[in-house]
Amino acid sequence: MRDYLLFYVNGIRHQISGEHGFQSLSDFLRGDLGLVGTKVVCAEGDCGSCTLLIGRVRNSEMFYEGINSCIQYLYQLDCAHVITVEGLKDEAQKIHPVQKAMIDALGSQCGYCTPGFVMSLAAMLETQEAMTRSSVLDGLTGNLCRCTGYEQIIDAALSLNQKELPKASKRFDDKAMLADFTEHISKAVSCEFEEKWNGSSKKVQFYVPTTLNEALEFKQKHQDVTVVAGGTDISVQMNKERLEPACVMSLTHLSGLESLEINNKTITVGARLSWSKLAEHCQQHLPQFAEIIEIFASRQIKNSATLAGNIANASPIADFLPFLYVIDAEIELSGYQPNAEVVNKRWVRINQFYHGYKITEMKQEELITRIRWNLPEAEEVLKLYKVSKRKDLDISTFTAGIWLKLKKGKIQNARLAFGGVGPVVLRLPETEEYLQGKFLMQEIFQEAGKKARDEISPISDVRASSDYRSQLAENIMKKFFHECCDTQNKKEAA
Amino acid sequence: MKVVGKQLPHDSAVGHVTGEALFVDDLAFTQNELIVDFIASPIAHGKIKSLNSVELAQLDGIVGVFTCADIPGHNFYGPVIQDERFLAEDIVEYVGQPIAVIAGESRKAIRHAKKKVLLKIEELTPVFTIEEALVAKQFIGVTREFKQGDFEKAWSIAEQTLAGTFVCGGQEQFYLESQAAIAWPGEHGEIHVHSSSQNPTEIQEVVAEALGLGFHEVVCVCKRMGGAFGGKETQAVIPAVMAALVAAKTKRPARIAYTKDDDMRSTGKRHPYKIHYKAAFTAEGLITGVNLEIYSNGGAGADLSTAILERTLFHADNAYFIPNLFFKGTICKTNFPPNTAFRGFGGPQGMANIENVIQEIALVLKKDAFEIRRLNCYAHTERNVTPYGQVVRNHLLPEIMDQLAETSEYRQRLQEVEQFNRESNTHLRGLALTPMKFGISFTTKFLNQGNALVNVYKDGTVQVSTGGTEMGQGLNTKIRQLVADEFGISYDDVRIMITSTEKNNNTSPTAASAGTDLNGMAALKACRKIRNNLTELASSHFSSPQQGIEPSVEHICFVAGSSGGNSTVYDDRLPENKITFRELVKLAFMERISLGERGFYVTPEIDFNRETEKGEPFYYYTTGAAVSEVLIDRFTGKLKLERTDLLLDIGESINPGIDRGQIIGGFIQGVGWVTNEDLRYSDKGELLSYSPTTYKIPNIQDLPEIFNVDTIENPQHKINVRRSKAVGEPPLMLCLSVWIAVKHALSAVRNDVIPRLNLPATAEEILRRITELTENSEEYAAENYSADESEVSLVSLPILSDEKK
Repeated sequence: MRDYLLFYVNGIRHQISGEHGFQSLSDFLRGDLGLVGTKVVCAEGDCGSCTLLIGRVRNSEMFYEGINSCIQYLYQLDCAHVITVEGLKDEAQKIHPVQKAMIDALGSQCGYCTPGFVMSLAAMLETQEAMTRSSVLDGLTGNLCRCTGYEQIIDAALSLNQKELPKASKRFDDKAMLADFTEHISKAVSCEFEEKWNGSSKKVQFYVPTTLNEALEFKQKHQDVTVVAGGTDISVQMNKERLEPACVMSLTHLSGLESLEINNKTITVGARLSWSKLAEHCQQHLPQFAEIIEIFASRQIKNSATLAGNIANASPIADFLPFLYVIDAEIELSGYQPNAEVVNKRWVRINQFYHGYKITEMKQEELITRIRWNLPEAEEVLKLYKVSKRKDLDISTFTAGIWLKLKKGKIQNARLAFGGVGPVVLRLPETEEYLQGKFLMQEIFQEAGKKARDEISPISDVRASSDYRSQLAENIMKKFFHECCDTQNKKEAA
Repeated sequence: MKVVGKQLPHDSAVGHVTGEALFVDDLAFTQNELIVDFIASPIAHGKIKSLNSVELAQLDGIVGVFTCADIPGHNFYGPVIQDERFLAEDIVEYVGQPIAVIAGESRKAIRHAKKKVLLKIEELTPVFTIEEALVAKQFIGVTREFKQGDFEKAWSIAEQTLAGTFVCGGQEQFYLESQAAIAWPGEHGEIHVHSSSQNPTEIQEVVAEALGLGFHEVVCVCKRMGGAFGGKETQAVIPAVMAALVAAKTKRPARIAYTKDDDMRSTGKRHPYKIHYKAAFTAEGLITGVNLEIYSNGGAGADLSTAILERTLFHADNAYFIPNLFFKGTICKTNFPPNTAFRGFGGPQGMANIENVIQEIALVLKKDAFEIRRLNCYAHTERNVTPYGQVVRNHLLPEIMDQLAETSEYRQRLQEVEQFNRESNTHLRGLALTPMKFGISFTTKFLNQGNALVNVYKDGTVQVSTGGTEMGQGLNTKIRQLVADEFGISYDDVRIMITSTEKNNNTSPTAASAGTDLNGMAALKACRKIRNNLTELASSHFSSPQQGIEPSVEHICFVAGSSGGNSTVYDDRLPENKITFRELVKLAFMERISLGERGFYVTPEIDFNRETEKGEPFYYYTTGAAVSEVLIDRFTGKLKLERTDLLLDIGESINPGIDRGQIIGGFIQGVGWVTNEDLRYSDKGELLSYSPTTYKIPNIQDLPEIFNVDTIENPQHKINVRRSKAVGEPPLMLCLSVWIAVKHALSAVRNDVIPRLNLPATAEEILRRITELTENSEEYAAENYSADESEVSLVSLPILSDEKK
């Protein structure tokens, strides 16, 4: 156990404890270090102005990727190397080729978003991604610019194509860092401090366990603990003062939960696996799901956020939930067992996991450790839909998962799950029953749409009206028919 | 080497990409500096009963809480009509309205203290929409009327007529750097303010008035803004006054930087509009008369609403000749933050309306809308008088439209789109070509002036200061280019200095796209004074009576070198007898010749009479056209912009790279307004879409898949600085091609009625219209009125949650 966080910023070592660990990385950089090149606009991970590179130990090497520093708190950064825009210049103070390209192509106008774009491009170099138009669009989805209309930024990125470009991380000696991290990473971090204000005082603590047992024990002992996986939601709530936890546990170092197993027909995903890594695997095994992941969030978010975090967060408009519902996924919950060698484990079907808005089956002393589901088979049709105001990096207005099992041209079994139409994702039992035994015909799906509409009673909110959501519920059945059943239109609709 | 016309990088590009370019909140804290924040009204309309400001001020880390009673000068301001309060007095008029300023030692202290705020407000009935304001008879300023010919007669004898209502929502500026200011107390009560403002002079004056100081006791500077788009033309005032008030009261430096959420919730936006229109036209589609009843939703204060409405009236014709017309414009007062300037300044709403009318004329006549647009487009020698009497001169509107139709293969693609719509069960396509004509100059005449200070130093380098502010638009880059060429020196030898009221007094806001026109010309005029002196000196220096060379200024040449210091000056009769610019400057200094001058420029020829509503308010017009093609999912309403082609007449470009950025950036910003940027409020007037999670500006994936941008040469354009044209605002309005393309697509659903479409055309709006067209056929009256539609989205239920991914 240690009482300090260890990390590096642009090659310089920092040891942080107490109150200082309880702030966002961007606040720390701007306030404590005076590194004001990192800008904060939204403080919610939606604009990318605070993007920078984070290097962490992976397979005994440093692996770098882009993240939003406004929604990473320092307690998530133990044993990490942060590279900011100030760290891009080389020893001779020469700017990086990415920066040069942005200058030459007039990729900046007001300049406020520019460091974020520069860092997102630098992140692409870390993974040696080719600079094609489509990869550049993907790599920069999480960065908003209000001035340029993006074209000259794309020009800048494309001018780097085919060039031998140095990784920004290469100018730092990470061997010494690695040794330092290796020495520290197996020790849990625990920091406590008194927050005093106006005569009152509050105990605040954060904890970074290294094993599942440690984590479960801590959770058992601290009823008020807020568990942080990627922190992409909790940090936002904290920045916006909607959540002020006094006790935080960060799962950053929890070993063994970053796995992904594909076994026969089953995929099992570890709770710490980031969306980016999950997406890589889904490309091959579950293209439908991969497509949703693609538009689901920015790269910065996907590099931090996890599937388990999303499940635990229990949002009814989480993009992937209808998928998990119709594929009938299961969630592994692990619970602390005092004086036992092994943890308590149980599998819960997702269809039984949510009891109400933000109310789940998970007990206080439990953590989600794995999620598994069966891959669709040949006679199964699976289609996922997401409707949002903006196609990319927007929260859903409406989501749907439609799964049919066919036999001799007839629907043997149907599962429908709609999100954004109630306090939890809803299955539609009446419409499912109606579809059973029916042929794949347009009238059937028109009728199913009407039934689906009647089964839900959505509300109006900032994203959409209830009318729109009801209409979408009806139309999505027709859309499904045209895309999956009506061969004549299949090509066109794609 | 001349640099005007060259694509040079942005003046601050190196600073931008390295993060070394500093914005207000990036400046290092000075000793003792205080953090400033404000306590805002949570109620849209109400009477303030009490606030525990005394108790709040006692809390740990809090240095002061100031209300309107603490303002030493006066508490009201407004750029046109002084009807706004810095801090609310007894009445609050919008959610987010500042009631008190709170100053603390740290952000944390303020965060804590704000939780202890006890604010009692007695609620009064709020007014949110134009319809409600009409009932309550709440207006701002006077109703304006433009007349030409006899509309009533044209209407009564018309071969064809149509009527309807155009409804459009507002738009958040969404500059990335939120409002910010730092104030430093100076000697003898002076205040020095660093503000992210398009209008340092206004900050200077308003801070002085609020603090009861003379203008000479306040200095305002602005190095750069992280975007502004009009949102910092007037509304940077409130944060600046807050910081200045704290600095004056505490004698400590004071800094305020709004969060994005607070910024969006408490500042004004582009005006929502509602326009009732009637159009009379011939069977061929020639417009014979237009009647417009225009209403804007002004919010709770006048701000710039009167000037914005005026610009709507000036652009309600867009590019079309209307022989008989009656336009009437009224601003409605509502309980929202005062709406304000945003790129286009009322122009986009007026132009969207007339484009909508034209599209409907085409639908009534079952003709291609492009033919109707072309038919009604301003001509050259006749049919070229605007509703306000200005002749549209030296323009290329018909030529631009024809060239663009040709290069974009409009006609062939229209056939393909129509074919597609006949065949597809799942998708709709739409195609539209819309022109754009935007008047350049402030329509308020006295604002069309600029001054500049040019200092030449003994090493031949130059510093330039103007009243223009840099917000990303490249003003500083362009002025550097202009000045370098004027002296015949290298670009590197010229620097543009921080904008400061100390160096340039009584300046106009950097707005109306006129920044380069006014400040560039003022800088050139200053340069010319110095250069004339230098030329005279050089002519006597090079004169050589022995060789028969008499002093002659006509023969003196200034030639830029490749780098600083090697620019040369010579007499072309003795070209081998060169001296460097640096040597000439040194010589001038020794001869006691002034090496610093001020230039002053006023835009010539413009005038407008508000009594008769006639005149020539614009020095010239920037024009262009766009053609866009969209793809719509029939089931979800989802819109995809597939291709856009733009063509503009921007005169001789000073910096083609910067102008390209302005064109693309302006267009995409407009696309946001007409598609996804959807301001939604609770029925209590609270903005619900107050951050990028819920307010969706275009991201990089929203670019058209095919995007062609081009400019056209206009040899007839011979005026303005280096024959350039303003380029800031005009491209935004090319976005109307996208909105009209949606309308075109909807018309494929049914051809017996005119589809309705509000702006923005969100997926929700599009699907609502598709459903309406396919299912509610009886409800579609022949008279296609949507007068009952509201220009503001009010959500009547509490929000479900604030979910994140």
